[in-house]
Amino acid sequence: MECRELEERLTLLLYGELTSAEQTACEEHLAACAACRSAREKLERFHKVLARRPEAEVSPALLAEARMSLDEALDRQQHGWRALWNNGLPILRFQPASGFALGLTLVLFGFGVGWGLRPHINARTANLGVANTADVSNSDLQNMRISDISGVVPDPQTGGVKVTLDAERRVTLEGSLDDPKIQQVLLYAVKSYDNPGIRRDTLDALRSHADNPNIREALIYAMRHDPNAGVRLEALGAVCSLSPSADVHNALLEALQNDTNPGVRVAAVDALIASTEKEGCDEPTAQALAKLATTDTNPYVRYKCANAVMKFGK
Amino acid sequence: MDGICLEFASKASAQPSPASEADELSLIRRAQEGDRAAFDALIRLYDQNVLRLAMQVVGSPEQARDLYQEAFLKVYRSIRHFRAEAKFSTWLYRVVMNVCLDHLRRQSTRKEVTMMPPEDGEPEFFQSVPDDRPALDPERAATSNEIGRRIQEALARLNPRERMVFELKHYQGLKLRAIGEICKTSEQTVKNSLFRATQKLRMELGDLA
Ligand SMILES: [Zn+2]
Repeated sequence: MECRELEERLTLLLYGELTSAEQTACEEHLAACAACRSAREKLERFHKVLARRPEAEVSPALLAEARMSLDEALDRQQHGWRALWNNGLPILRFQPASGFALGLTLVLFGFGVGWGLRPHINARTANLGVANTADVSNSDLQNMRISDISGVVPDPQTGGVKVTLDAERRVTLEGSLDDPKIQQVLLYAVKSYDNPGIRRDTLDALRSHADNPNIREALIYAMRHDPNAGVRLEALGAVCSLSPSADVHNALLEALQNDTNPGVRVAAVDALIASTEKEGCDEPTAQALAKLATTDTNPYVRYKCANAVMKFGK
Repeated sequence: MDGICLEFASKASAQPSPASEADELSLIRRAQEGDRAAFDALIRLYDQNVLRLAMQVVGSPEQARDLYQEAFLKVYRSIRHFRAEAKFSTWLYRVVMNVCLDHLRRQSTRKEVTMMPPEDGEPEFFQSVPDDRPALDPERAATSNEIGRRIQEALARLNPRERMVFELKHYQGLKLRAIGEICKTSEQTVKNSLFRATQKLRMELGDLA
């Protein structure tokens, strides 16, 4: 065996992935070759370095939490798109008062997840893989089982959006954000779909039509209630671009006071400062800022709030 | 909290332990017929490992929980397509692998778009409450954190496929052949990914060895 061959096999040798004949050949070469022995030692040292990656700790609490939220998602799964559709999309009107109510309501409404298309839609779109929403009737949608939204991509050229659904075969719906069917699918996705990456992409698509009241409401909803901090942060960015109003202001204030993620709270205080500069500081905002300047758990949030108090104080 | 623990204990004792292949097969059959309890018992044979793997891949508990949920929802939706000629664990890990790969791909496209330098010289505002537990040897702890962080960063720079192969081989100790089955690819392809990953990591972390 030559040194070059051994070098290639060293990794496999250390992982115990060689046949016994290969292993014997390697050992024989190593016994006779100092350069290769040193190469092995180097690789072993490298493996020791890699072992210093911190062990991911799965606490019993995290496991319990993961199991419970899966359980709830599976419950939701058993209800379906049909229920959602027949109820006239209750999500559009649904505005829970608190996190607790949210949990309850989601289970009650049970938004199913997962697209499965009726066979005849499949047959019709299989050649193209693209369906215009005009080809999909209400009754088609009624019979969908939403299971896997695999992509939401805005099309800057047409101003439309492309939604890819994994059914038995992959199907793509294309249309304008003004199209009520596309809208309903996206509003559903942003509020109830399980994959936070998809929720974030959906937010991206929705924000170009934030003047639509349903979309506006969905953005605020996501900022307040999305379980994923990254999605809430993105929603907050979208909410800041909405025309100023009491509901936007209150939602920002709520995020500042109640969001568990300090990054979201920082973004909320920045947004409030920006709007206060234009609109003036109302009493509840002034009080909240003064309180959080001393009580927020995060030093940067406290610092930001204290600055704001100094700026708008009195 | 007590309620949760109790529920756990009762569920844990209801699961076959240790699960023989026959037990597992019967759970699979029942789960395929829509039996939720059987599905629960079945996935509890694997879910702790899946959550740990997700934690290693994404780093944050919140995201790991999301991946865990997405993976098992996919398993739930597609379990009726599982054919018993394959090993259930291989099939399950294929689903998990794909969910992780999707996540890593999304993350890498997002990074390009949204990575911004921290404002106002305040790099640490995303960390929540400062950790004020007394460290035995702060300096050593700091170095060891630093090494851990560099390893994570180097791993994060691998492409998603290399990252997953390296994770499963090096850290989880799976056989190359098993990884090939999970990825539906040849052992040689897996080896190539492993070699490339090793090479890149050695380039990035060589100074530590
Ligand atoms: Zn040699």
